[in-house]
Amino acid sequence: MGLGEGAQRRIAVVLADMFGEPIDVGREIAAFLDGYLRRVPSRAALGLGVVVWAITWLPVLFVGVPLPADALSRATRARYIEAWSGSRVYLLREGFYLLKAIALMGWGANLAVRARLGVGPMAARRG
Amino acid sequence: MTGGVAARAGDAADFVIVGSGAGGATAALVLAEAGKDVIVLEEGPEVRAEHRGLGSVESFMHMFRDRGTQVAMGRSVIPILQGRCLGGTTVVNGAIVWRLPEDAYERVFGAAGAREAIPHAALAAKMDRVERDLSVAPAPDRLLGGNGSLMKAGAAKLGWVGHAIRRNVLDCQGSGRCMEACPTRSKQSMEVTYLPRAASLGARLLPDHEVRTIETSGARAVAVAGRRADGSSFRIAVRRGVILAASAVQSPCILRRSGIGPREHVGAHFRLHPATAVAGVYRDPVRLWEGATQSYEIDEFRHEGFKMEVASLPVELAGVRLPGMGEAFQRSMADYPNMAVWGVQVRAEAEGTVSPAAKRSHIEYTPTAGDMELFRRGAKRLAEMHFAAGAVRVFPGVHGGPEVLTSPDELGELDDLPLDPREWSIISSHLFSTCRMGADERAGVVGFDGAVHGVRGVWVFDASALPTNLGVNPQHTIMAMSMLLTERLVS
Repeated sequence: MGLGEGAQRRIAVVLADMFGEPIDVGREIAAFLDGYLRRVPSRAALGLGVVVWAITWLPVLFVGVPLPADALSRATRARYIEAWSGSRVYLLREGFYLLKAIALMGWGANLAVRARLGVGPMAARRG
Repeated sequence: MTGGVAARAGDAADFVIVGSGAGGATAALVLAEAGKDVIVLEEGPEVRAEHRGLGSVESFMHMFRDRGTQVAMGRSVIPILQGRCLGGTTVVNGAIVWRLPEDAYERVFGAAGAREAIPHAALAAKMDRVERDLSVAPAPDRLLGGNGSLMKAGAAKLGWVGHAIRRNVLDCQGSGRCMEACPTRSKQSMEVTYLPRAASLGARLLPDHEVRTIETSGARAVAVAGRRADGSSFRIAVRRGVILAASAVQSPCILRRSGIGPREHVGAHFRLHPATAVAGVYRDPVRLWEGATQSYEIDEFRHEGFKMEVASLPVELAGVRLPGMGEAFQRSMADYPNMAVWGVQVRAEAEGTVSPAAKRSHIEYTPTAGDMELFRRGAKRLAEMHFAAGAVRVFPGVHGGPEVLTSPDELGELDDLPLDPREWSIISSHLFSTCRMGADERAGVVGFDGAVHGVRGVWVFDASALPTNLGVNPQHTIMAMSMLLTERLVS
């Protein structure tokens, strides 16, 4: 299973804000997430897929706004993301960190990010 | 190396070895050297040159069990990292070779009543050979990297016992990519050492072959059966027997599926070395990506139940527990070049269980309160050492604790870190004892010769046979035990 176009478009906005990156980097990370979900075992993909869905669609439960996360104002979305990361409910908090961990792999693969940090390419130089 | 030969109907061997990691590869070499007819079956794929050093993601995808998503369930969710490729976890570990010290031997083998059957001197002799074969030596200063050098400096300032890690490498380039399958093949892991040597002596290595069951007749093993990566099934007859070396997760699952071994012990007594990390930010660049992945460690607290190691995480893994979103996240990650990451590894007393599930294994595990107390002490010691080494900020990474410390005067705040494992970021890759040794079937799954109680022709030569967790990195002990017991099997 992967992420549909709409799901990718929405979560890209959240990821861009989460990592303080422009939306095009957010889109790249969302595309990475889609590819990741297609490659991992189905149970793991299902779990991560549920987290992506929940973070996209549950602002109403966390910040009281009945809109998907990508439609929130930037300030409200920041408050919303903080609510997930600091949740006292273990499964919610871990769900958030699961998404962050996987998304970071996409973020860390981004060439512009790596160049900014001076860490060189993802793949080792050979020879 | 393998010739790509898949097992055919009617295939048979004197010995079939299940698993090609530290235990299985060692058994394969010993048997091949003795001229025995051996087939090694590995569930995972061959490690291809083009898959080496591609970064964390591709490493997970090609070389880790469940593509890096395996977890233990309990009060918290704990990622369990295991290699799943020809060479097993030796391909993706930190190249740490820890000689089993006598105190650990006494606690592990001595307490189980194995002093006469598996004397420390006999294991030590096998460790000598392993160290020669795998070019084991302490990491030289040039490979300590910033991460290891800072730990060395911090420990020296505090007067703690530490040392350069003894590693199985040859001409290591210090690319910090041990866990992605060494891109320069410097790490002397099984797929570049014992497995090709065994193959050159006639052993048949078959990757992409997952053994599901052992068939018995008259309480004797007669065949193994399973499926290939392409979904087709296979069966291989065995003339002498089956050596299970498929890890503390897979070996008990194969026994359980086969109805072999004392049921109350198979898959029980699952032990770990759970670990967590504490990061520190320094004024000067640390450059985690330069030097050996794991180059320096602290022994000072091993007798208390924990040891500490550097853990040079790549940028894509280092930021998970760092605080901050948006601009704050960017500021945190801008510190990555100046960041040192050190881990504490606990000799936990908790016991969990492993059982077969439809497609994957089911692992249950929850650290005890005592284990969590060790985590709390270990995290504080790591933070203390970071400050001693000159850190300007330290990130304990524990929910409910301080996000960041900026002075050693704040270390006292770590005395109140929560003891609930759900507040911690815990991970493990050292797994033990699910087929533990015992004098008889009331005490364990296998005897002191590694033979499974109650059946003939099935041995277990991996970490699942160890009576309990070691408190030190296990590859060396697994190899020495496998070598010793396989030599006895041959003789």
